[in-house]
Amino acid sequence: MVDTQALALVLAEPFMQRALIGGLLTGALGGLLGSVAVLRELSFFSDALGHSALLGITLGILIGVNPTLVLIPFAVVFAILVNQLVERSSLPTDALLNIVYSSSLAAAILFLSLVESYRGGIRQLLFGDILGVSSLDLIVIGILLAAALIYLSLSMRAQVLLTLNQDLAGAVGVQTRWHRLAFIVLLAVVVAVSIKAVGVLLISAFVVIPSCAGRLLCRRFPIYVFVSSILGGTCALLGLLASGLTNLPSGPSVVMVQFLGFLIALILSSRVFRRPSTTALDPQR
Amino acid sequence: MPSPVLVVNDLSVERSGRLAVDKVSFELQSESETAVVGPNGAGKSTLVAALLGLLPRKEGDVQILGEQLSANGELPGAIRSQIGYVPQSLALQGRFPLSVAEFVGFGFDPPGPRWPWQQHRKRKSAIEKALDRTGCIDLRNRLLSELSGGQLKRVMLSFCVVRHRQLLVLDEAQAGLDVPSNERFQQLLLELRRQEGWTVLHVSHDLDMVRRSSDQVLGLNRRLCCSGSPDHTLTPERLVDLYGPNMVPYRHQCHG
Repeated sequence: MVDTQALALVLAEPFMQRALIGGLLTGALGGLLGSVAVLRELSFFSDALGHSALLGITLGILIGVNPTLVLIPFAVVFAILVNQLVERSSLPTDALLNIVYSSSLAAAILFLSLVESYRGGIRQLLFGDILGVSSLDLIVIGILLAAALIYLSLSMRAQVLLTLNQDLAGAVGVQTRWHRLAFIVLLAVVVAVSIKAVGVLLISAFVVIPSCAGRLLCRRFPIYVFVSSILGGTCALLGLLASGLTNLPSGPSVVMVQFLGFLIALILSSRVFRRPSTTALDPQR
Repeated sequence: MPSPVLVVNDLSVERSGRLAVDKVSFELQSESETAVVGPNGAGKSTLVAALLGLLPRKEGDVQILGEQLSANGELPGAIRSQIGYVPQSLALQGRFPLSVAEFVGFGFDPPGPRWPWQQHRKRKSAIEKALDRTGCIDLRNRLLSELSGGQLKRVMLSFCVVRHRQLLVLDEAQAGLDVPSNERFQQLLLELRRQEGWTVLHVSHDLDMVRRSSDQVLGLNRRLCCSGSPDHTLTPERLVDLYGPNMVPYRHQCHG
């Protein structure tokens, strides 16, 4: 049974209200961008960005600048450089991303161990602190959500064709290089902004899990993008409420709710949305 | 005599630091069908990519429908929308949440930003008509990722036929199709080409099909080794020149 009195007490706290709004917006943003990222096989890229963000935070601490201010330009430059590396290298993308993210993570941990004030603070960076989200953070995440929504809505044709076949997209007039870069920069900014709330280790779950659940349930592209975003926001909200009631860590609680949502989508897709095999039905295949 | 749809002069293209296409010149006459044949790695797909403005040119000029292709591959939107392209495959790993009708609709839309809820009546009727003409009307609500190879290729033709085009470029579009699917695709392409007045440029390894359907054959192996009518270019001697001494020319008896 849910203790309604305890829930009311938790919800009355301003930091909890900010956390809930932050979770809702971050979750929706992750699901929105994740819907395209997953189809374009950029899941691992978002993971690598998240892990590398720790290096950006460390650099901010070392040069004495607010890490949040360093993180966004760092993530954007990092994403563009990695994208160039992936495009020009003959090595497989997953292997390259693994090299990049494990090396930058190791460098960040080594640098952090040298900074006295951050010894013991690594846990907060790794798992996030959504309860520490400020009003300014909420405004930034809100603006990003609106920008991502407008960009993806207006460029849906370009995004889909670019995902299906880059040459086909180029042949019908899509500015393929521009859209690839724009999406990667947007993803990098979102990852950088969400790190504070979600943490380095769990950020990719916000991008990947809701959109995979949406992918299992939807048969129309705009609906898939919308459902992924709604699932992301709802799971974050439920996870935070569960965390507030049970006093368990917030980030992992959200990810476990996302996982539960994914399992439900998996069961629904195999039972409700299963279609008969068409091989036997259509002789003119 | 109408002016050629495509004029290529001394086109050279580099790919991965290697000269993949070397001083190739040819023309496509209106409503003709031209096949590009040659061994793997001969530069056929590179040639197609350069003609579509997807790869930069090292040298040479390309003129499509009377417009010069710019150095960075740009064409006016009105010309670009006159070109249809059928690639070898689409990246459809796993479940791809996109219906056949949605995909074909993207072929109708002009380049540029557009809100997803902008559904003109004209767009919807064009999608239905295109699917009907390619025999894919029953597939309209199916996911693209649920289709067989043959169905997917017919849907790609719907993507091209959903708006009026003058030039259709196919890059090994029939690769991976079994014999009945290949025949059905070829028949459909022939019908649509006649109805639409398409000028067709296609890359193919199926020399028998090329012999039956093409007006002009371009034998490419980095350079243009031979060009002309199928009877003139697909001779045993020229095929050995193009593919090497291990090439054993073979013609199906039923078409021979």
